[in-house]
Amino acid sequence: MLFHTWVFVLFFLIVYPIYLALKGTRFRLYWLLAISYFFYACFNPLYLILITYSSVLDYTVVAIMSKRGRRKIWLSISIINNLVLLGFFKYAGFITDNLNALLSSLNVSYVLPAPGIFLPVGLSFYVFQSMSYTIDYYRGNVERQTSLIRYATFVSLFPRLLAGPIERAKNLLPQLKKKPVVSIQDVSDGLSLFIVGLFKKVALADYLALYVDKIYSTPDRFQSLALILATFLFCWQIYFDFSGYTDMARGIARMMGFRLMLNFNNPYLATSLGEFWSRWHISLSSWFKDYVYIPLGGNRKGKFNTYKNMFLTMVISGLWHGAAWTFIIWGAVHALGRFCTRELEATSFYKEKVPRIIKQMFVFVFVTFAWIFFRAESIGDAWIIITRIFTSGFADPRCPVLALALIFTVWLYQFAYESRLRWLLELRAVRIGIMILMVLYLALFAPSSQQPFIYLQF
Amino acid sequence: MERKDITGIRDSYAGKSKVTVPYGSNCVRLSLADLIIVAVILLAIFSLTPVLWERAEKLEPSLDYRIPYDLSSDYWLYERYCRLACSRYETLIVGDSVVWGHFVSKDNTLSHHLNDLAGTTQFANLGADGTHPAALEGLLKYYGKDISDKSVILHLNPLWMTSLRHDLQTEKEHRFNHPKLVPQFMPKIPCYKASFPNRISTVVNRDVPFMNFRSHLNITSFQSMDIPAWTIEHPYENPLGAVTFHLPASDDYERPKDAPRPGRGPGQTALQWVELETSLQWLFFRRSVELLRKRNNRVFVLVGPFNEHMFDADSIDTYRKMQVEIETWLRRNNVLYYMPETLPVHLYVDSSHPLGKGYAEIAKQLLENASFKSNILSSDGSAAD
Repeated sequence: MLFHTWVFVLFFLIVYPIYLALKGTRFRLYWLLAISYFFYACFNPLYLILITYSSVLDYTVVAIMSKRGRRKIWLSISIINNLVLLGFFKYAGFITDNLNALLSSLNVSYVLPAPGIFLPVGLSFYVFQSMSYTIDYYRGNVERQTSLIRYATFVSLFPRLLAGPIERAKNLLPQLKKKPVVSIQDVSDGLSLFIVGLFKKVALADYLALYVDKIYSTPDRFQSLALILATFLFCWQIYFDFSGYTDMARGIARMMGFRLMLNFNNPYLATSLGEFWSRWHISLSSWFKDYVYIPLGGNRKGKFNTYKNMFLTMVISGLWHGAAWTFIIWGAVHALGRFCTRELEATSFYKEKVPRIIKQMFVFVFVTFAWIFFRAESIGDAWIIITRIFTSGFADPRCPVLALALIFTVWLYQFAYESRLRWLLELRAVRIGIMILMVLYLALFAPSSQQPFIYLQF
Repeated sequence: MERKDITGIRDSYAGKSKVTVPYGSNCVRLSLADLIIVAVILLAIFSLTPVLWERAEKLEPSLDYRIPYDLSSDYWLYERYCRLACSRYETLIVGDSVVWGHFVSKDNTLSHHLNDLAGTTQFANLGADGTHPAALEGLLKYYGKDISDKSVILHLNPLWMTSLRHDLQTEKEHRFNHPKLVPQFMPKIPCYKASFPNRISTVVNRDVPFMNFRSHLNITSFQSMDIPAWTIEHPYENPLGAVTFHLPASDDYERPKDAPRPGRGPGQTALQWVELETSLQWLFFRRSVELLRKRNNRVFVLVGPFNEHMFDADSIDTYRKMQVEIETWLRRNNVLYYMPETLPVHLYVDSSHPLGKGYAEIAKQLLENASFKSNILSSDGSAAD
């Protein structure tokens, strides 16, 4: 039951009025939990075992810590449990494949059986969210949650269950604790966010996917221009796909009186890689910063250790995205990019003399290049794409002009949004006009086939 | 709650923790009043566009007009033609490719021969290729609403009951024509395995007129693709340029050769007829009759004629028994009907499709039928309007 399907609309039309009727009563949390679990069970009822287990364990660990003191052993139990869950369901296949490759290279004939485990949708997101609660409690940053129902709702709240944003306890739990106020503006804000997200996902991401999938499925059949354009389109596809999902999630939550954090803030306008990560998947970037980078030492122990910590954080972040070497390399490439640009960005020449647009283009080109590893089916494919970009000819790429026009329109909008021209975009007539155009475009032009969200696989 | 500007980049909620949550990273933030304006404008656009489109895209059907073959799934056009035919002609002939005339030109169909032999302009061809009874019921229900207070000749093609597969009763999934027209939930069609979201999507699209218009646009201007898929095939073409406001003619398709399909030969094919009592297609056919009658139409059922020359004795025996059961039901329900005898073998293309001369023969028989003459054929032998 994905947000951009009629089934979800039907689901929401049924559950929402009941939620509004119950929001002032003590039954609201029961209802929220019930519909969140139902929503999740629609993917596979067995998933409920996992999410319930994860919620109950972390709730219990914190309850024990509150009685017996904030001891590391309890925190370790929570962290190890969450990482084992993630490791088992997400990385078992990857580990087995790599061990088999190692055994084969050592001429050992034994082959480990494939575990055949499927990754429950949303696991990476809610495990991180739940883990952040125990860590924050251990650090004294949040209060203990006394209600198991409320805590289970915090972990499973359906708008953000599948792919985030990875909320922090200090943001979402207080909202769950108080009776939500749903104003008319909340409903219209939520609708605005939802429609923008729907447009990004259905009209843009799913459209760009048609070209990207064609090229990336057989990269050896295409030449330089087609590969460059497919990579350029993927760069936007993944942004529209994920930020579209987030907009819809935030819109739905807002209609229910909850404020979920901003997850994307026009990342392709970043002027440095550091800034890019403060604009892209903000909830995950800040999670890694708070729970991995800083505990590793952050930038407190000299340049070497700073880079080492940065490298480790980026590689782990890559691994979080998927159990494949391509994701690890993607993380490593970003880490290397950060090393190089950090020094450059510190120079007064770069700060003062290089125009903003050049910095933005530089970051954009680098990030786009790194996406090759993220999107390629294998390292072999990534290598083929990179070598063919530089060595093959410039045959007609047959890339739809309409797709490029749409991308540049959005890009231009974003530039205007962050410029002095923003007042123009804030005009009521312009906002209404844009909304009408988006819905019209959706109604007339949107692809008829529905694609799942890219980030659901993570 | 506090807001600093219209897009509310810093928008805090009244929580104890005083965490501020930015609204978004664009300016498309509308108030309820704005959204109402948007809804009103969109409603106007969605309502007016199809109406204006009809003016720009001319549909001037001749007497022998039939929905172009490539537009068989264009239900918006079917609805439009239905409206037009209802206003012009007294009697509408409804059915699958046998009525439509799959193997013959438009001036050799049943409606043509009826008009020709009766010397009238009374009969219109509202056949649609591939509309088995389950789909035909949906077609009439959702897109044939204008068929009311008319005479309707409803064709029953026994082909759809010759096997579990034709009757949509196999548990194994198999694709059939017009899945969007069949009931998505009840009654259950065993071989239809669409996912729940797809079924919901079909129901919604069927009930939103603008979605049918969009489908028409895709079929007529974008080679039955959606526009994004079309731009992948035509990357440098302007999609707006592809819109020509031109409908293909009825016979703009490559007609199959008028020859029997290769098979085991005449008189040897054994059919696995389904029981009429349990037949899904028969159920849907009965529902179509009831639907048309509920809309105050005078329904005349034409059964077959089936090409019995192709089948073995057992199959023909079973068919005879089935005919009796069909007849019993039609009589019991006071439905006018005619069951022509099987035509000479040379007048068939396959098990159910006649050649042009076959249609002429059926038309002749119909015009000689007393019930048809007194109930369907207009007394003055002219067009209704």
